[in-house]
Amino acid sequence: MTGADQTWVLVVAIGNPDRGDDGFGPAVAQRLRGRVPSKVRILERSGDALALIEDWGCIPSVIVIDAMAPISEPGQVHRFDLTDSPLPIGVAPSSSHAFGVAETVELARGLGRLPRYLVAYLVEGEQFGTGAPLSLVVAEAVGDVAEHIVSEVSTILKAKGKGRHA
Amino acid sequence: MSGVHAVEDALGIEVDEAIRALRRLLYCGEWIQSHALHIVMLHAPDFLGYPDAIAMARHHSVAVQRALALKKTGNELLRLLGGREIHPINARVGGFYRVPSRDELAPVAEALKHARDRAIESLRWTAGFPFPEFGRDYEFVALRHPDEYPMNAGRIVSSAGLDIAAADYETEFIERQVPYSTALHSVLKERGAYLVGAMARYALNRDRLPAEIRALADEVGLEPICRNPFRSILVRGVEVVYACDEALRLIASYEPPSRTCVPPEPRAAIGYACTEAPRGILYHRYRLDADGTILDASLVPPTAQNQDVIEEDLREVATTGLDLDEETLKARCEQSIRNHDPCISCAAHFLKLQVHWT
Repeated sequence: MTGADQTWVLVVAIGNPDRGDDGFGPAVAQRLRGRVPSKVRILERSGDALALIEDWGCIPSVIVIDAMAPISEPGQVHRFDLTDSPLPIGVAPSSSHAFGVAETVELARGLGRLPRYLVAYLVEGEQFGTGAPLSLVVAEAVGDVAEHIVSEVSTILKAKGKGRHA
Repeated sequence: MSGVHAVEDALGIEVDEAIRALRRLLYCGEWIQSHALHIVMLHAPDFLGYPDAIAMARHHSVAVQRALALKKTGNELLRLLGGREIHPINARVGGFYRVPSRDELAPVAEALKHARDRAIESLRWTAGFPFPEFGRDYEFVALRHPDEYPMNAGRIVSSAGLDIAAADYETEFIERQVPYSTALHSVLKERGAYLVGAMARYALNRDRLPAEIRALADEVGLEPICRNPFRSILVRGVEVVYACDEALRLIASYEPPSRTCVPPEPRAAIGYACTEAPRGILYHRYRLDADGTILDASLVPPTAQNQDVIEEDLREVATTGLDLDEETLKARCEQSIRNHDPCISCAAHFLKLQVHWT
């Protein structure tokens, strides 16, 4: 992609809105639509993390949003910079049907296909039942994470405009 | 898809031919993405001596990137027809909620042409793997259709002569509990363990494959009936090439249906269906009341049907491999389980091996 169509930042929201707090990513994606510049692409994916490598292709900056099993306090949001380090063991979201985000990131690193800048926002979920809504604590985190991402995207684009990698 | 077919059976719905073709196309996408994942990301590292695909990718980057691209094409088909790439939501009783236009399918067809080339390269790559000598006299069970390689239609047949409709499944098969596991095991009432999945489909339906696909199977040394589960990776590879070809054929002849759905009329009834998911036959039965409420249901996934075979394989691999060191034996045992493509939660490193010498 070149010129006006070039995507500078990809935001990938992973999750299933019909499975309680697994719908966190899509809920954040909804908040972001219309609030980020055209150089930013928002993509919703239903859970196949392995597809991320093909999704981000050559896009230099990528932000991933996903839910994870609770490890301390449901609703708590963790931000990980994965550009140079893997997701810590124990927090990596996993799936019974596909590779998880942690495995995918390390596979991409091994293939030399990691974006120059890769960040993940993971929320600790509370309920993942079929047909369940977002839990209150996770729903409360949606707006905050969306604001953080708007701000982070702005910083990335400014740095890009000044010719610095981000 | 089995669920939709079973409810349609209960309600007496016959879907239009174009809908049936679209469902077959959706299954092509399922087979491509599921097999590509299993062949390269889960199974290949076993043959090449790597603990996982991440370690393998450093030395076999081309093969891994090829698999990612193949899988992406399968995902695109699933997303277009199913609404999303995992647990599709667009198929409904009587048809689909939305059907694609020819223009929407055109770029997928272009991607499938490249995917077909990649699938052949991947198959030839796996044909060079070192395959352990191993073989068992399985009873193969798969669907069989009068003129198609089976996906979402056909009778349930076996290599021992079984030939039944889906409605008779529970007459011949039974799920049972075992004291050492929470997983249900499905067996033939009269003969016990049986094998479903790619090896069974291929053994029972090779004559339904186009000549060029059979020639490709011959070229990579795949025997007409493969009884070595370590070689199942080749059978899956052949099926990926076939799924690409079949998807291209279905797209080339596609005309959007005049209606997306046959409107269902609820009634009290029982419906049955069996389809060929990538891992093997998937049986569903539903009993509905007059307003369409499901009163009870039975679902038998392929992995439950292969449990006994997996355990029997494991027993033979373990007992014939006692001269191996424990790490090698453990790896061989895990590989023998992965031969049958259980879902990924069971396919990662999981095995605790304890050898008791007496």
